Amino acid sequence: MKILLVDDDPVARSFHSMLLHMQGHEVVEAADGELAWRLVEEGHITFVVSDWMMPNLAGVDLCRRIRASDFGGYVYVILCTSKGAKSDLVEGMDAGADDFLVKPISPEEFRVKVRAGERVLSLQQGLREKNRELANINNQLHSAHKLVEDDLKAAAWMQQRLLPLPAQEAAGVRCAWRLRPFGYIAGDIFNLFPLDENTVGFYLLDVSGHGVPAAMMSVTLSMVLTPDATHGSPLKRFDNTSGESQVLSPDGAVRELNRRFQSKDDRYFTMIYGVLEIRSSKLRLAQAGHPSPILVRRGGEPILVGNGGMPVGLWPEIEFDCLDFVVAPGDRLLLYSDGVTECVSKGGETFGEARLLAFLREHPSPSLDELLDGLLAKITSWAGTSEFTDDVSLLALDFTGEKTS
Amino acid sequence: MKFEETLVQDVLVLRVHEGRIVADVVPRFKESLIAYAKSGKSSIVLDLSDVTFIDSSGLGALIGSLKAIGSGGELVLCSARDGVMSMFKLTRMDKVFQIYANPESAAAALSTRNGADREKPHSGDR
Repeated sequence: MKILLVDDDPVARSFHSMLLHMQGHEVVEAADGELAWRLVEEGHITFVVSDWMMPNLAGVDLCRRIRASDFGGYVYVILCTSKGAKSDLVEGMDAGADDFLVKPISPEEFRVKVRAGERVLSLQQGLREKNRELANINNQLHSAHKLVEDDLKAAAWMQQRLLPLPAQEAAGVRCAWRLRPFGYIAGDIFNLFPLDENTVGFYLLDVSGHGVPAAMMSVTLSMVLTPDATHGSPLKRFDNTSGESQVLSPDGAVRELNRRFQSKDDRYFTMIYGVLEIRSSKLRLAQAGHPSPILVRRGGEPILVGNGGMPVGLWPEIEFDCLDFVVAPGDRLLLYSDGVTECVSKGGETFGEARLLAFLREHPSPSLDELLDGLLAKITSWAGTSEFTDDVSLLALDFTGEKTS
Repeated sequence: MKFEETLVQDVLVLRVHEGRIVADVVPRFKESLIAYAKSGKSSIVLDLSDVTFIDSSGLGALIGSLKAIGSGGELVLCSARDGVMSMFKLTRMDKVFQIYANPESAAAALSTRNGADREKPHSGDR
């Protein structure tokens, strides 16, 4: 090892230099502190044995400078003093010295203390290598994570494409919606579409669980829940001979969905499915284990509708209920997922249906968009964060009473 | 997933020592329930006194356990808190599971049925 030996006394310096050479070390000598500092600055010095009392720069100050700088690796410093007072020891240690030698220096003590210094340096070197390895692994993990994240973002974008267009309209109903997935992709999904020239269908569903499996199921369902009868839609009954299709009642459609989507792994979904008959303004809803929608009659109080029902996918032969209403122009219906009502405040309280109803009562907003933005802001402030712990879905419908789109 | 086991009239009452039956605890929850059922205690009362919240995965696990136990045993619930009960009612699980007010009434109902023919609980047909 190369050791910098700093001492203004030439006799002491040559004696200690000889001791170090006997131990097999290479010695660089300096007669004063400033010269020693310049040598350290030039680099490649990792071990300094320095006298305390010196012209230009005392050993303790040399030590302070070394500790205040960054030479890439550790510099081991042993200070030598003829005084040996406790206060010296403390001042030296405070200045960052690793060890002390009291003059006259015993060769044995010198030897073992230098060896201790070598050990520390070798540990430090090992640590630096381990850190380099860790940084490497960290980079690899970071890249791998980024790949997964990129995939999820792409999946989220695809899922967004399946949702209704912002200004989606069908005859008789206007809608607005918001989807805030938990993570990138949602197990919630919803849509609205004409079923035939006299009916409009809409749904909001929530697949159990989280993450990619739930999202994959929700995407599959959104592809299946199509008005296009030629693709075997569960929403219509298709007569092969006449080529005609008939829109199924909501409970019939959900029963068909249930038949097709029997779970093999405890997965199920909850759903509200509604069918509006435009000419008669009759609205029928099926509620499959999903939170009750809120009906707001024009000028009226918001009310929860529905008595519950089984979720879809649990048992094969289930009957579902149908709720019947007649809607008038200006009536509204709000569908939402339990991410809204189960939203928890910092104090551990859930938002709940009562607060949701209260919000609607207090905000008879002119536009659906204002209503939804306001509601999202409300639950964001309730949660104390915009990072919700479940998918949040909102689908708001405005029954316009128009008979054609 | 910790359960506190007690025997009430030869019926195993498992009190769930977990406030939230949610996705991350669900696999162990279901495994444990099924293990209990297979270990010979075919009548099980699941005591939900400490449970404040069951998410969709939790409900799936309850139903999955019920199906796995099948006609070889009984799984009933008791002491469901308001929030949990209203979720059961929304999803009509109160038609699928027998839900009692407390472990004693649950155990009493099961022990009178022990030895008699047991039918699989009706799955919500109306």
